[in-house]
Amino acid sequence: MNLSVALPLVGAALFALGIFGVLARRNVLAVLMSIELLYNAAMLNFVAFNRYRYPDAAWGQGVALFILAIAAAEAVVGLALVLVVYRRFNTVLAEKLDLLKG
Amino acid sequence: MTENIVCGFLAVMTLVPAALAVTVRNIFHAALWMVVCLSGVAGFFALAGADFLFVAQLLVYAGGILILLLFVVLLSGSPKDWAARAVNERWLPSVVVAAAFVTLLAVVLKALPSTVPPAGSPEPSTAALGRLILRDFLVPFEAVSFLLLAALIGAVHFSRKEDPAP
Repeated sequence: MNLSVALPLVGAALFALGIFGVLARRNVLAVLMSIELLYNAAMLNFVAFNRYRYPDAAWGQGVALFILAIAAAEAVVGLALVLVVYRRFNTVLAEKLDLLKG
Repeated sequence: MTENIVCGFLAVMTLVPAALAVTVRNIFHAALWMVVCLSGVAGFFALAGADFLFVAQLLVYAGGILILLLFVVLLSGSPKDWAARAVNERWLPSVVVAAAFVTLLAVVLKALPSTVPPAGSPEPSTAALGRLILRDFLVPFEAVSFLLLAALIGAVHFSRKEDPAP
């Protein structure tokens, strides 16, 4: 299989798994992990398109590097929030966090 | 040919642990599967000639974020939560949405004009990446450094000992 198709396909499959995790997982930490999967799928596609469609430029890799930095920031704040939520509600299951009624 | 074998191996190494990470009950095991999956993505970066991203992925993701995640898993999960059902009762619509999404992306990829991959092994791209970041991406680069600083301060702020509830 042509690698210029195979790599974005792997990225798409990874993205679909991440979407499933975000929608279906009960544990807030697992939802955060699934968001990391989404970031990784996006990075993989940026790098693959850079390599197989615009091999003379490095912009795709630059954007992927920014995604990496933003994912790190998101993970730090998200994990701190999970710790606060656990201290206050004593659970990490998403459906128990129903303070906002609606 | 060799590239195709490596690509197939990396695809299995990425997608199977990812599927396990979003389905296993034990959240600690899910985090460990994530390490394998992210290493597979790093392998894809190496295959596509992104050498700096390969190292950064291993250092920042597999080495940094996942260790942080494991710490939070161990600090926050009670064993009762660990054995709880992994997915909520709307998992079937979620599967449908995910399948629809991957079908859509596959159709779009099929519609793209196919390209011949550049021959030969890719050049090291770290120098080009550095020039790009310090020239064209200079303002976003500074903005990201502010974002990381803000995230650091925010995390410290959130994880302080709270005042007793009013």
